[in-house]
Amino acid sequence: MTLLIQYTLLFASVLMLVALGGCFSEHSGVINIGLEGIMVFGALGGALALRYLPDGSAAVIVILASVLAAMAAGILYSMLLAVAAINFKADQTLVGTAMNLMGVAAATVLVKALNTAENPNNPSATIAYGSARKSFLIAEGMEFSWLTLLAVVLLVLAWFVLYKTKFGLRLQSCGEHPQAAASVGISVYKMRYAGVMISGALGGLGGLVYITAAVSEWKFENGVAGFGFLALAVMIFGAWKPFRIALAALLFGLFRSLSNVYTGFPFLEQLNLPGTVYNMMPYIISLIVLILFSKNSAAPKAEGIPYDQGSR
Amino acid sequence: MENGHTSEYAIEMLHITKRFPGIIANDDVTIQLRHGEIHALLGENGAGKSTLMSVLFGLYQAEEGTIKKDGKEVKILSPNDANDLGIGMVHQHFKLVECFTVLDNIILGNEPTNKLGVLNKAEARKKIIALSEKYGLQVDPDAKIQDITVGMQQRTEILKMLYRDNEILIFDEPTAVLTPQEINELMQIMKNLAAEGKSILFISHKLAEIMAVADRCTVLRKGKYIGTVNTADVTMEELSAMMVGRNVSFHVAKGEQHLGDVILKIENMTVASKVHKNNAVRNVSLEVRAGEIVCIAGIDGNGQSEFVHGLTGLEPLVSGKITLLGKDITKLPIRKRSVMGMSHIPEDRHKHGLVLDYSLENNIVLQRYFEPFFDKAGFLRKKNIRQYAEKLIEQYDVRSGQGPVTLARSMSGGNQQKAIIAREIDRNPSLLVAVQPTRGLDIGAIEYIHKQIVAQRDAGKAVLLVSLEMDEVLDVSDRILVMYEGEIVGQLDPKTTTPEEMGLYMSGAKREEV
Amino acid sequence: MENRKVSRPSILRIPAVQTVIASLLCVLAGLLIGFIVLLLINPGGATEAMGTIISNFMSFKKAAKQISNFGNTLVKTVPLLMCSLSVLFSYKVGLFNIGAAGQYVAGIGVGLFFAHGLNAPWWICMIMAMLAGAALGAISGLLKATRNVNEVISGIMLNWICLYLVNMLLAPYMDIKMNETFALKVTHPAAVIPESPLFGSLLNGHKYTTIAVELAILIAVGIWILMTKTKLGYELRATGLNKYAARYSGMRDGFNIILTMAISGGLAGLGASMFYLTDMIKWPMAVTSVPAMGFNGIAAAFLGGLHPLGAIFSSFFIQHITDGGSFMEKIYPSEIAGFISAIIIYMCAFVLLIKQQLGKARMRRVTEKKGGEAK
Repeated sequence: MTLLIQYTLLFASVLMLVALGGCFSEHSGVINIGLEGIMVFGALGGALALRYLPDGSAAVIVILASVLAAMAAGILYSMLLAVAAINFKADQTLVGTAMNLMGVAAATVLVKALNTAENPNNPSATIAYGSARKSFLIAEGMEFSWLTLLAVVLLVLAWFVLYKTKFGLRLQSCGEHPQAAASVGISVYKMRYAGVMISGALGGLGGLVYITAAVSEWKFENGVAGFGFLALAVMIFGAWKPFRIALAALLFGLFRSLSNVYTGFPFLEQLNLPGTVYNMMPYIISLIVLILFSKNSAAPKAEGIPYDQGSR
Repeated sequence: MENGHTSEYAIEMLHITKRFPGIIANDDVTIQLRHGEIHALLGENGAGKSTLMSVLFGLYQAEEGTIKKDGKEVKILSPNDANDLGIGMVHQHFKLVECFTVLDNIILGNEPTNKLGVLNKAEARKKIIALSEKYGLQVDPDAKIQDITVGMQQRTEILKMLYRDNEILIFDEPTAVLTPQEINELMQIMKNLAAEGKSILFISHKLAEIMAVADRCTVLRKGKYIGTVNTADVTMEELSAMMVGRNVSFHVAKGEQHLGDVILKIENMTVASKVHKNNAVRNVSLEVRAGEIVCIAGIDGNGQSEFVHGLTGLEPLVSGKITLLGKDITKLPIRKRSVMGMSHIPEDRHKHGLVLDYSLENNIVLQRYFEPFFDKAGFLRKKNIRQYAEKLIEQYDVRSGQGPVTLARSMSGGNQQKAIIAREIDRNPSLLVAVQPTRGLDIGAIEYIHKQIVAQRDAGKAVLLVSLEMDEVLDVSDRILVMYEGEIVGQLDPKTTTPEEMGLYMSGAKREEV
Repeated sequence: MENRKVSRPSILRIPAVQTVIASLLCVLAGLLIGFIVLLLINPGGATEAMGTIISNFMSFKKAAKQISNFGNTLVKTVPLLMCSLSVLFSYKVGLFNIGAAGQYVAGIGVGLFFAHGLNAPWWICMIMAMLAGAALGAISGLLKATRNVNEVISGIMLNWICLYLVNMLLAPYMDIKMNETFALKVTHPAAVIPESPLFGSLLNGHKYTTIAVELAILIAVGIWILMTKTKLGYELRATGLNKYAARYSGMRDGFNIILTMAISGGLAGLGASMFYLTDMIKWPMAVTSVPAMGFNGIAAAFLGGLHPLGAIFSSFFIQHITDGGSFMEKIYPSEIAGFISAIIIYMCAFVLLIKQQLGKARMRRVTEKKGGEAK
């Protein structure tokens, strides 16, 4: 049971962080399909930090360094979307897809290169960060990570920024009615950049949490197994509102963890479902959620439509 | 100078020239706004009024010319600059965020915050309520824009300007969306504002309103400055002549009416609304005979669109019955109704009427591509399509850059509409449904289209016209049905009724059992 | 206001030429960035590595080796071409069929199932694979048409669901020794597609070149004819360009969306069978990620200018550099080719918008400013 809770919290944190990121981007008016790629890059940044930090560094330093590295990597990668979509008004879905494909390929290439540079006989795309990872754990032996706490803090912060600050009000106006925002002197371009960069930071952090969840090394050719898209479903289910996203993330996290832990539950074992069914569950649930909630979408009205200053 | 002003004029725009690719929107235009004056900017569609005001508001920059505020030259590079100079604008298409409240919309861009950027809505609320009471602008600060009336939305826009202490207020076609009652209220509000020292510029093409409320009027025509007059010293006819450059015959020649059989019969039609819980069309019954033009008149948003959608098949009916040529078509799909003899000139030519990225010829066969003449065993007969398109282009004088292969997107609005009309009329429909057929077109195109519609009627067809333009309604129709909040509230005879009487019906102040 | 544009005879104004030039620029950009990455990894052999990618089979010295590798590339071009047709067909109708990857997997699963499990001849396997892909595509289409579900997200979800289902479906037919499905030529030779008369002899009896190659090209031409010369194509394109006008005209846009996705799905599923039934490749045990072919189809589709005939060339090119990537020295990761493909897609997004901007500029020039208009 504790295992189930641990896994649920871990996966929920990932989904929530990435979904919040997507939420900020979409509230500003930019659809971010490239979350998978951002997660991978953020994970890469964080993993590299973990890998190259001297052994025995203080836990605080480890956490801080990897989190900042992950966020920075995510922000950097998200600029690909920002420039293409905001300055060049490219098709956001296409750019996002390209970013996803590029992310895994680029990360694999980078990691392999790094590994072979150190040891020509090691052409793998794996980064190991075993010892550094322990710094994440709140208590030795238990899989509760400081990062989960960080995710909760960021959740509250996200809600506050979105609904209680000037920045949040302006951000939302850019996604709902950019012409109205521009007419009162708000720079839609700047706001959308902010939205995309926040999604880069949160997505990157989500990637870091994902790969450090219960494992000590990560094969980067695996990417993030569709978590970026699950996060999009969480965002839609959460109706672009932070606290509802958190609840949705918990639900999805629960289903995702079941495939890891179902053997520990006698009544589930008795159902005698093949393991693959549990693997499919999160995706099936996502699909059902999408079917139920896409019709009367509360999506920001002007999302996906490039803002053109010339149009009135 | 009085009131501490250094110049007689609050704003001067001198010799402004603004160019866009292929067109000179403003050609050496000069306009001078006195302090505390209500100054109208008059012109037809495409005259350059909106462009000129956009330059003043910082949305565009003029290539030539200067702007002066209170005698001093200023540069306005963005709405922020305009706002800093005290210039505010109420746009024709409101720049309001639908899911935000009135309060949020008013403070957007000028939010009161503490040092960390946290919003302080209480302070804003106090100021807004004070302004609202001072100028008689009644609003509910916590209502969401999507839930309030158009009139209240406009008041929200006005409060936006007053909240920012704007002294120079620009209104872009403010009465287009208001009922006659709300128009009177707005006129009063504008007079109040001017009395308090605000200087007002308002754009319009409605002569009656300009005469009623403006002190002076500047006329533009096709980008050029024609002149500035005191409204007290001119007549509507003189203004109108300045606006169009010739004495316009506002009337289309109609032959004698020969009424025939009932072509269309609608009984108790009810259509749901997409935006609110009530029905958009409620229990409407009417008849249209061969050889008559029946016009549904009313303010935009009273169910006309839903009515047409229900009639043509774009929307399902909640209840009711539609009979065309004696046959019940209530449950028939769009294609079948069309083939039976119903043509539809849609309200929005870009949304419904054309596939803009298709060629002209492909658009011309949009309603007929499946007929044996154009389609053989699933393959398009391109030669026939080309032939037919050329015939229609010739007959209806549809002008385009490259003939049948021109991309519809690159054609002018007038010719796009002509193409749609050619397509719909050439099918020889028993019933022609024309919704706002002359919207956004210049006088020449309007005359032409009215002629075509009347020709249908003279040839013994039935025409159901839906229009928001008072002049068009009175001039073209044989019978007027006024629609208010989804119901037919009156039947009027264009030969005997007046705009004032129509206005009473259109605003729900009067109704009769039809 | 009339359109005063005079048609200028400059060759650069022909849209087709613009597309080709744009595609070439995307390719160059991708290759350039790839080259820079290679340089960063190991400057010494970078030029040679790039050369290998670009020349692929031609980098081999012996003619026999050249031909056999060319054959390999050709065989793999077939599924890529089919996937790119799948993507471009639905894109023309306004839908982004990222689910092509899952429809492809469905095709593999059902095709191999009919071969191994039901001992069916090759053409039955192919038809069933096509239907499986079509069904999957239709589901995405149905969800979009009736419930407004974004086809990208539903596509991704179905991709993963399909992957797991296919793993389950083919589990009984695994050759434990090789960790993959049995070789068809050995166990069910009737399920193997016949050899191509045209390419087989050209390529010295290359083992896996089948009539699938000719078939794929014919299908590409067929799709082109469908899109440009038929009533269905007229309706589908209209729906993609303006679904409101399509509805106004009486086209059944919901039905058309489902039909389009079904056709797209069928293309991808068929493409899968056209590859796996050559017996050149088998389905491994417990595959953990969706095969890249469906995603590479996106690259090929856009690189080919979203034109069925262009897709033939772009698919070959993408497969060409992908295979070339596998022949590089081991210090260079072969994923670099995938990386280059992804960059090409990214660049193609810009190409599209350039074409859009050119179109909008033409419109702004002559459309009247409508003072009273709702946009």
